[in-house]
Amino acid sequence: MDNESRVNVAIGAEGLVKRYGEDVLALDGVDLYIEANTVYALLGPNGAGKTTTISILTTLIQPTAGSALVAGFDVIREAGEVRQRIGVTFQEMVLDVELTGRQVLDYHGRLYGQGKKERRAKAAELLSLIEMEDAADRRVSTYSGGMKRRLELARGLMTEPEVLFLDEPTLGLDPQNRASIWEYIYRLKKERGLTLLLTTHYMDEAERLADRVGIIDHGRMVAEGTPREFIDQMGADTIRIAGRGDSAGLVQSLREQSYVETVTEGEGVIQVGIDSGNRRLAEVVTLATRGGYSIEDISVAKPSLGDVFLKYTGRQLRDR
Amino acid sequence: MSAAVTLWSKHMRKLRVHPEEAIGLLIQPILWVALFGLGMKGLLGQSIEGGGNAYITFMVPGIVALTALSGAISGGLIWLNERVLGIAKEYLAAPIPRSSILIGNASSIVTKALFQSIIVLVVGVLIGAQGSLNPAGWVAGTAIVALFALGFAGIALTFATKTNDPGSYHMVIFLINLPLLFLANALYPLEALPRWMEVVARANPTTYVVDGMRQTFLDSSVAGAGYDLVPLWVCFLVVTAFAAFGMGIAYITFRRSLK
Repeated sequence: MDNESRVNVAIGAEGLVKRYGEDVLALDGVDLYIEANTVYALLGPNGAGKTTTISILTTLIQPTAGSALVAGFDVIREAGEVRQRIGVTFQEMVLDVELTGRQVLDYHGRLYGQGKKERRAKAAELLSLIEMEDAADRRVSTYSGGMKRRLELARGLMTEPEVLFLDEPTLGLDPQNRASIWEYIYRLKKERGLTLLLTTHYMDEAERLADRVGIIDHGRMVAEGTPREFIDQMGADTIRIAGRGDSAGLVQSLREQSYVETVTEGEGVIQVGIDSGNRRLAEVVTLATRGGYSIEDISVAKPSLGDVFLKYTGRQLRDR
Repeated sequence: MSAAVTLWSKHMRKLRVHPEEAIGLLIQPILWVALFGLGMKGLLGQSIEGGGNAYITFMVPGIVALTALSGAISGGLIWLNERVLGIAKEYLAAPIPRSSILIGNASSIVTKALFQSIIVLVVGVLIGAQGSLNPAGWVAGTAIVALFALGFAGIALTFATKTNDPGSYHMVIFLINLPLLFLANALYPLEALPRWMEVVARANPTTYVVDGMRQTFLDSSVAGAGYDLVPLWVCFLVVTAFAAFGMGIAYITFRRSLK
């Protein structure tokens, strides 16, 4: 990495390893380079190592091996400097429910050394951003799940961080609330100079928000690129086939077809990336029938990150 | 250190909003003072120097000590809950010295325990304990109870850092509560104890805070009920050492947990 691009790297991690005791290897050598003012989505199933990675980058735990720089400072040796410059929202909702929304923001600002006037102004601005001015003086225990997540987001922004870490920001929310959180994040991306690292196991979230996506599984980075790059690799359309029979044979004969870009098989689903789904559907069905493969379910869709995940890890990324 | 103040003020606000638990803790000590004390006043009224009020004066410091240590130990639950609920993560990700997390928690525990102790002391005086008229005595008394509470706050925070289960924490409170009171000179003088109990009592910080209170908050000529009191400077020394010990292990345990 040359000097110029080094200056632009907001998060740089090399060889992060985290071992718990003898048996548990949460991270097995993770590298990450995230440019400033971009949104990066770390995509992976539960247990992949996303939360461990974020915990290390936000100085909550120390890696067993490897190093990381966040906002230009070392997470182990210069943890205090890192903490000054970051905001975090956590997967579990870690709000103090006996306080009011406004008090939560105020105490947070106090912890970070903000003066009274600044805290009041910032809290007002953020409460307006997340559209919770009316509820601000009610206790957090009265808030819905969606409201708590919005408050968490506001709290993460309270101290104007250079880097914001969001660990599963829409976990457990209904579609409407998810959409509104995405809207705020999207607006943040447009209006502020902020680097954002979000972890998620939701495909649509990564596709919609991220400039770059990293796929993590079993503690290792499996693939990395822009959502567009990944999806382009898969072909214009994807046909997904589930059924019984000689799947290996079908995969083989599919690969021999000129219009097929890629074929993947995993967990009983065969995924075929082709140039145009509608035109080729009939031919694929014929191939299957000829090969004695009985189709139980077949669909055509634009490829998604879920398909990408299946290709790289051989497994499906299930929503909870 | 302002982070410690922020933590303290947050806990104080929550205490004002939800004082039930803190007040509930007072029921047992007030029963000791009001009922047990009155009963004993009647029983011993004739048989000890100074009459019935002498016994009340004699035993009230012990109940105050019980209040302080129970309050301090149960105060550790706040930290345990904040850890278990994940609220502690906010402190750990914030640019504050790690020690201020500990100090903030310890100071809110001690503040709460002091409030509870003063209330029980006042009840004791109302029942008949002879208080000291010397304001310097009240200041010194507060100081020694605060140090005593600080030692137990440290022990409480140590347990609260190590365990994740509020249930087992409550068990600990139940188990050590009364033995600490009985194995001291709180309800009876050291001279009255069999040798083995006396040895244990002399190793129990409760003995020193109790004799300390007898010579500061209360009128020592009455509070001693005619028995020898441990010199005040020794009381302060032992209780201070206990505070240092408690906070010391809390600090070590806390630091280790951050790895």
